[in-house]
Amino acid sequence: MSKKFEITNDIRKLRFLADEMTQQQLAEKAGISRQTIIAIEGGKYNPSLELAFRIAHAFNVQIEEVFHYRVIESK
Amino acid sequence: MVYQVTRTIARMLSGAIVLIIYLFQVNNRYQAGLSAAEGFQSLGQLMLLFIGIGIAVTIAVEIVFHILFSIGLAVKESVKNGSCNDKDIEKTINQEMIEDEMAKLIELKSMRVGFITAGIGFVSSLVFLALGYPVFLMVNTVFVSFLIAGIMEGFARIYYYKRGI
Repeated sequence: MSKKFEITNDIRKLRFLADEMTQQQLAEKAGISRQTIIAIEGGKYNPSLELAFRIAHAFNVQIEEVFHYRVIESK
Repeated sequence: MVYQVTRTIARMLSGAIVLIIYLFQVNNRYQAGLSAAEGFQSLGQLMLLFIGIGIAVTIAVEIVFHILFSIGLAVKESVKNGSCNDKDIEKTINQEMIEDEMAKLIELKSMRVGFITAGIGFVSSLVFLALGYPVFLMVNTVFVSFLIAGIMEGFARIYYYKRGI
């Protein structure tokens, strides 16, 4: 049995809760491009620890509220 | 994503144009049947010329691309809000142009694809030489592989932007 790992995020939900913050606004707050936000939100890119903290800071929440680490068991 | 991908496509097109014109020129010179010494001298001059042309074409394409991209943004903004603000367009372009960690990672990965392509081209040129093909072919294979490497790098970049890393 092998173990796989997955990092998921709640950026879409947090943007909704932050008065429907746009991807552009979040990108500006985190100091990155909009395409990077799109990629992270879509699970196509896992940000570095520093960027993950910057995104969490943009929402004024703890990093664990934005990103989740999951272990997937597979045969 | 639109900005980076479109910019890469523009760069690839300029690379492809330079490659096609170069191959056309080389073919003309080859058909003319220059002697070995003359041929290499003119080939060296041609390669240097095309390096210069490549740089000039890339700069020209970048300028034209940014003008067209700005016009596109202004049209989009006008349709959406009924008016467009120069500062907003400038802000959007600056935002799109940010080179963050994902852009740097994609650049590194796509450059690796380019280096591999150029490496394969170089080894192929050595194989041609070892098999007894003319040096003319070997030199051109090296130069063309560099041009193709640039295009392959573009393909890799688009792939990583679309699929993710």
